[in-house]
Amino acid sequence: MTNGLVLAIIGAALAALLAGIGSAKGVSLVGEAASGVVSVDPSKFSKVLVLELLPGTQGLYGLIAAMFILLRTGVLGGGAAELTVQQGLGFLAASLPIAVVGLISGIMQGRTAAAGVSITAKKPDHNGKAIIMAAMVETYAILALLISVLMILNIAV
Amino acid sequence: MAKLRMKKIELIAMLTDSKKIIELLQRRGVVEISKNDDEELENTNVTAVVGEFDKFRSTAVQALEIIDSYFPEKVGLADMFSGKTEVEKHEFGREAMQMEKVMSAANEIIKNQRIITESNASISQLEIKCDMLERWTPLDVPLNFKGTASTSAYIGTLPYQITSEELEEQLPDNCSVEVVSGSKEQTNLFILCSKDTYEEAGDKLRKLAFATVSEPESKTPNDLIASYKEEAEKLEKKIEDAKSFIEKLSENRKQLRFVIDYLQMRKEKYDALSGLGFTESTFVLTGYIPEKYAESLKKEIEAKYTAAITFTDPTDEDDVPVLLENSKFSAPVEGITKMYAMPGKGDVDPTPVMSFFYYLFFGMMLSDAGYGILMIIGTTIALKKFKLETSMKKTLTMFRNCGISTVFWGALFGSWFGDIAQVVARNFFDKEIGSLALWFEPLTDPVKLLLVSFGLGILHLFLGVAVAFKMTWDSGKKLDAIFDALPIYLIVLGVAPLGAGMFISVPEVLKTTGIYMLLAGVIILVLTAGRTSKSIFGKFFGGLYALYNTATGYFGDILSYSRLLALGLATGSIASVINLIGTMPENKVFKLILLIIVFVVGHIANLAINLLGAYVHTDRLQFVELFSKFYTGGGREFAPLTVNTKYIKFKEENSND
Repeated sequence: MTNGLVLAIIGAALAALLAGIGSAKGVSLVGEAASGVVSVDPSKFSKVLVLELLPGTQGLYGLIAAMFILLRTGVLGGGAAELTVQQGLGFLAASLPIAVVGLISGIMQGRTAAAGVSITAKKPDHNGKAIIMAAMVETYAILALLISVLMILNIAV
Repeated sequence: MAKLRMKKIELIAMLTDSKKIIELLQRRGVVEISKNDDEELENTNVTAVVGEFDKFRSTAVQALEIIDSYFPEKVGLADMFSGKTEVEKHEFGREAMQMEKVMSAANEIIKNQRIITESNASISQLEIKCDMLERWTPLDVPLNFKGTASTSAYIGTLPYQITSEELEEQLPDNCSVEVVSGSKEQTNLFILCSKDTYEEAGDKLRKLAFATVSEPESKTPNDLIASYKEEAEKLEKKIEDAKSFIEKLSENRKQLRFVIDYLQMRKEKYDALSGLGFTESTFVLTGYIPEKYAESLKKEIEAKYTAAITFTDPTDEDDVPVLLENSKFSAPVEGITKMYAMPGKGDVDPTPVMSFFYYLFFGMMLSDAGYGILMIIGTTIALKKFKLETSMKKTLTMFRNCGISTVFWGALFGSWFGDIAQVVARNFFDKEIGSLALWFEPLTDPVKLLLVSFGLGILHLFLGVAVAFKMTWDSGKKLDAIFDALPIYLIVLGVAPLGAGMFISVPEVLKTTGIYMLLAGVIILVLTAGRTSKSIFGKFFGGLYALYNTATGYFGDILSYSRLLALGLATGSIASVINLIGTMPENKVFKLILLIIVFVVGHIANLAINLLGAYVHTDRLQFVELFSKFYTGGGREFAPLTVNTKYIKFKEENSND
């Protein structure tokens, strides 16, 4: 295993790790707020569940970026490539957008969705608006994922 | 299409017919009644009647809740979606006759429920008493025992652990201490003193924080516990009786639901009556009615009753309610429009504008043909099998159409449950079958798909600008319409080949044309955008500001469509990862078993999370990118007087369905 490959694997780990932490934190924030609503009115469970799931996507995006790195470098699917240090650093850099934005946007989206839970509690008919507001935050995670994936796919191996 | 034209309706009829006419309107469900504001006409006061109905209704609701909590009805999945029970109109009249019987059953149910609650409370009190007495069971005198002729007794507790010897040392002579029971926190004591040392011992004990037990009954603790237990058993029996009584009454469940709906209808009818204006022998009803129902309603009422109905066009000051009507293709998306806001006075209905792109974008984001087929099958079964409410039907139809679009995009991109066909062929038949894509696989050329996404996004935005153009044009400001729309088209179309040129090779001719279009657009925009400003200075800076706004706004809007690619990639790559995990083991039998399990669980989870993602982000593209170009919203939804029931539905056609 070359040093380059180790760097690439660190990149994959960072993407899954940081974005995963962001989602875990975000989902738990909404979960706490949602439990309060459900304790009063259990019938709102499905509505708040949707809100709780929203910040969960960052973790998935991190997973996708990590998988792409592992597939491109051949760690998955056999025949690990002999990467130079430059190539390895390239993969590491490519993992950063989704890793860092995933971490922060996951938490921030969690906060927005947790605030949205109060819309669902007081005006259940306007639940959709709470979802849209939380979805606004996710845009930046999507953009980060896009850039990460484009970089990963285009690094010459 | 789109927003239905509304007419103002004014109906004058005989007072004696008022209830019948209101009932007819309620069943037709096409008229929204406005409150009478003509001061010369009298209003009726229905508060008392409506309050009565409310009271009865809440009694029935409460009784139904009690039945449901003790003896829940067994519901299958099919029942959950089966909607309301249908009843004939004459059956409704017959059932309504039994109301008194049902209401007395409801009161009976509530009474028994109260018995249960009270008995439960008494039982728990008795249990607490028994717990307390348990500590004193070794004692064979009553707890209020004061002593004999020559002795006096103290019965009570000290809040710490102490032995009888230790306590006897502290007390005067002639006192005997017996520890009845004890723990670390307290010692329960029976202290017997001779009459002469009684006072002294009392003082001493008080200083030691001795607390005397208070118990009015002159029975030994054991006897007391026995009698309490007996009492509790009696109460348990009473609860059982009450429960079985409720169970017997629970056969009224259907009738209760019926009464709830019946009272709701009566209440709404009387609410409607309160909006009418009355003279001595006639009444006047004003309200709104969609134009297309106007004539048939007029015919029906005038044939049956002595009534005069006139329709007028609403004026600008009127607060006209909005009812949407769209083609079969667009109507399912109405729910999305309503979620944002009903169209306001100057708005067009955005539903037909967005419906095509809604389906298109949804399919592109989910983009797996397998998932699309699951959606089509699921929604079709639900639509066929269950009797659904109109709005639910529309939502399901929307998801079915989105499913069709998903199959379309999935087939173009060659994604059927990810790459399951290739994976199975490779792992079990040692064959490479290559790509199934009818167009290309996004992973092999993501940049191409990114440009396609931007292209579709530009079309979507142009559609929004075109609607804004038409609205301004129709309102007579033809020049404004041109100056608002033209520069945007020129600038965006001019920049497009330059932007695409960064990723792929674009013919030089296009690029050059682009530059000229861009320049022309910028010049028109800077020269015209500040036209509302009075001074030359204001006009110029207004133009520059508009240029800045257009540039950043549209740049951001178009980039936002990259989510079409990103979410599509997310679905596909997670699906591939699921298939990859399923084929990890070397042994083919294990591999098959694991693949089946992982396939079912994994793809269901992936479908669920990506359905949510596709739904949310399609909505966002409509609300933020499209609606901002032409739509404000803020209208009031048409709320006709109608049969607003929860459990039952009339067989008769409701023309508003």
